[in-house]
Amino acid sequence: MSVSKSSDASQPNSNNELLYSSLSSNVKLIRNTLGNSNDLIIREITIGKAEKHTIAIVYMDGLSDKTTISDTIIDKLMLDLVEVNGSETDIETIHQYIRESCLTVVDANNISHFSALFTAILNGNTVILLNGCTFGIVTSTKGARDREVTEPSTESVIRGPRESFTETLRTNTALIRRKIKSPNLWIKSRVVGEVTQTDIAVMYINGIANDKIVAEVLARLDRINIDGILESGYIEDFIQDSKFTIFPTIYNSERPDVIAGELLDGKIAILVDGTPFVLVVPALFTSFLQSAEDYYQNWIVSSLIRLLRFLGISLALVAPSLYVAITTFHQEMLPTAMLISIASQREGVPFPAVVEALIMEIAFEVLREAGLRMPRTIGPAVSIVGTLVIGQAAVEAGIVSAVMVIIVALTAICSFLFPAYGLSNTIRVLRFPLMIVAAMLGLFGVMFGIIIIILHLCSIRSFGVPYLSPFGPLILKDQKDALVLFPRRALLTRPRLVSQKNNVRGHKYLDTKKRNKSNV
Amino acid sequence: MSKFSLICFLLILPLLLSGCWSKRELNELAIVLALGIDKVDDEFELSIQVVDPSEISTRQPSTGRTPVITYHATGETIFEAIRKITTLAARKPYFSHLRIVVIGEELAKEGINEALDLISRDHEFRNDFDVILSHQATAKDVLNVLTPIEKVPANKMLNSLRVSEKVWGSTISINIDDLVNTLNNNEKSAILSAIEIHGDPKLGMDQTNVKKVKTPVLLKYAGLAVFKKDRYIGLLTEDESRGLSFIKDKIESTIEIIACTKGGTLSTEITKSTTKVKGNFKKGSPHINVHIDVEQNVGEVECDMKLSNNKSIKYINKKTEKMIKQQVEHTIRTVQQNYQVDVFGFSEVLHRSDAKQWKKIKNDWETIFPELPIKVEVHVNTQGLGTIQNSLLHKSKKEE
Repeated sequence: MSVSKSSDASQPNSNNELLYSSLSSNVKLIRNTLGNSNDLIIREITIGKAEKHTIAIVYMDGLSDKTTISDTIIDKLMLDLVEVNGSETDIETIHQYIRESCLTVVDANNISHFSALFTAILNGNTVILLNGCTFGIVTSTKGARDREVTEPSTESVIRGPRESFTETLRTNTALIRRKIKSPNLWIKSRVVGEVTQTDIAVMYINGIANDKIVAEVLARLDRINIDGILESGYIEDFIQDSKFTIFPTIYNSERPDVIAGELLDGKIAILVDGTPFVLVVPALFTSFLQSAEDYYQNWIVSSLIRLLRFLGISLALVAPSLYVAITTFHQEMLPTAMLISIASQREGVPFPAVVEALIMEIAFEVLREAGLRMPRTIGPAVSIVGTLVIGQAAVEAGIVSAVMVIIVALTAICSFLFPAYGLSNTIRVLRFPLMIVAAMLGLFGVMFGIIIIILHLCSIRSFGVPYLSPFGPLILKDQKDALVLFPRRALLTRPRLVSQKNNVRGHKYLDTKKRNKSNV
Repeated sequence: MSKFSLICFLLILPLLLSGCWSKRELNELAIVLALGIDKVDDEFELSIQVVDPSEISTRQPSTGRTPVITYHATGETIFEAIRKITTLAARKPYFSHLRIVVIGEELAKEGINEALDLISRDHEFRNDFDVILSHQATAKDVLNVLTPIEKVPANKMLNSLRVSEKVWGSTISINIDDLVNTLNNNEKSAILSAIEIHGDPKLGMDQTNVKKVKTPVLLKYAGLAVFKKDRYIGLLTEDESRGLSFIKDKIESTIEIIACTKGGTLSTEITKSTTKVKGNFKKGSPHINVHIDVEQNVGEVECDMKLSNNKSIKYINKKTEKMIKQQVEHTIRTVQQNYQVDVFGFSEVLHRSDAKQWKKIKNDWETIFPELPIKVEVHVNTQGLGTIQNSLLHKSKKEE
């Protein structure tokens, strides 16, 4: 399949020319183009009894499955074709015979251009070239080492499937197909990256997804002009609506069940070869606060947990700035006992509250980043330093107050509450400007900052769908799966703005319900 | 950037010009919890009770310093005195968390209007603090008494005031708004709870005061102080104060002690009391009806009485009714005869019942009030006997 697809892809190399009829010229050109790289294997064999024909088998070591090559190509060519006798000396006939009757490999196509040849072998396929023939045969022998399907490492659930995407595109599309066994699950392929030639698959359910958005996704993918795509993050940056936003307007997940759920909502998945993170468009703000597990457990529990997440995002965003604003401008807002308690902890702290807050927040961010990036074996060392520095020593040394440590800990924990990591980073960043306006203008500044953030949220769109829907614009029907989650049987319709033409989930069920109603 | 967004951006920028204006760090503030105002000669003497946060905190071990510090300053006006305090205090006094204002007796006798102006006008003062009167002591001395358990004396004063109002009834919590409103009213007269010092005031400021099992110097609420206009004219006794609370419908719970049939006493716990005051004019002369509805439980029986008997319950009801009636009537009599000021708010009741008639007598209210006929009706209902039925005395007598 990938062979036929690759054949229409353009090669940056200048050798978009036809194959020579002379095998030795072909081999020479291939070797030269690849700079005599030693992972290029060209196996030349001779067949035929009366008249010898030279055949070259070209593939890349490490990208192809050697067992397949030896069993289905070399074995057949060398053993079966020995008997080719003089009457079939015509090279075209032999070529046809090989392709149609000899090779037992699952996929064999003709190619005539060098560009196709290179795409094929660099994708792990094997090309068979015959001396005197201007056609080659491409056989599918992909077999590069890939990772097993393992448990997701960034989105873990207690209840739910235990599989996650891998780095192989084909495995990933298969994982989704295994969940949605519908002929309407369509895949459109693209190759992006002048040098890397990365395969990209756009998946959607035909009839549910909005055709206009599908077309828009494909158009935006085609517009990408870059030498290489190494991760889906590259694509994300290229295709999002607004370049000047810190909020993630494209959702990503490494869980096939999440992606399948999004596809059923009428969204479109973009799979990129080489990364387990699959993109989903259009993405709404609420989807970053929803976890796959919400749908797998009791709806009351899920609703409460969702509310908790909304509380968490608010706290993670404003807790330090509220602390700064209230303790430096609005002391009268605190209950007297609490004021005295906080004041006693602030005794002897040399910095203003905002500096104290910045010190602690930055220290925490540094620790968090260090914990992510360093070798796993040093991990415990960092956490010890972290607890000692952030927790105890800073308070005991009188640099910060104990309340501030609680605030930082609270924000830290709250920012880990989001099922989607992208939003957590946004909140992390926005916390700092809010702290600064809080220090300058007090609660007025905090409100000011929040209003600006909300205005911005209202202004951005993800593939034409308002980011804040179903809150802004308010869509009452979609509230059942936003702040709270209604029971499954109430979730009969898909998000209205996402899939506009086919909004009903269970037709059969809805029909019986309507019938019952009319009977009554 | 478009022109529009540039203009918006420029419009937002001036907001930042305010800088950190009005910013105060917590450790730059002296949190004032109690304020005392006295009159010395012709000047106001102001006392503030400032909390030392590190002494209140539970985290650090106590260094042995007192939890509060008082500062005193005199000035021609209160405002002047407050600003003068900065020459003594380590930090700028911060009044938003003021819990209680104590008015000295001498000042109260001369009139409190001038003293209250600043604390009800200034924006830093909230309006949720209580005002009390120091009885037979200066406000300065009251603020100088250290109290055990509640490390901050201001909290102690406020708590005692609120708790005794709730379960005993001899105090009424009056905040600054109530007080100023009453003082603005010509017919109504103000009352304030009065606090007094038990013991030698000089010992009260020493930390040894809180280090003994039996605290040598104590602050105690004495009763309600009656004001005429803005001048303090006399103190009601504890019983009279409770009577006043009954009339003002301020009783939430209290105790009544009645005599039993065969000697001994019985205390009842009043759990609910509703007072309805109605006024009417008969031929142009005003009448007041006070109706008190009381629900009570039997609290303590120190006599031989068979409580399971319906008769005894009736007896208890009647006796309590009589007790409360006497108490209330006594209060009314005392106020009418000794002070001749309307602390009960009857003027308002009459105004509401008939505005036209009221207008006719409004100007003579001061002379009418002492002679005002007031009818008191009490209705008592005993509901519970507690967890045991008859008294232990009842049982032991039977066995003999």
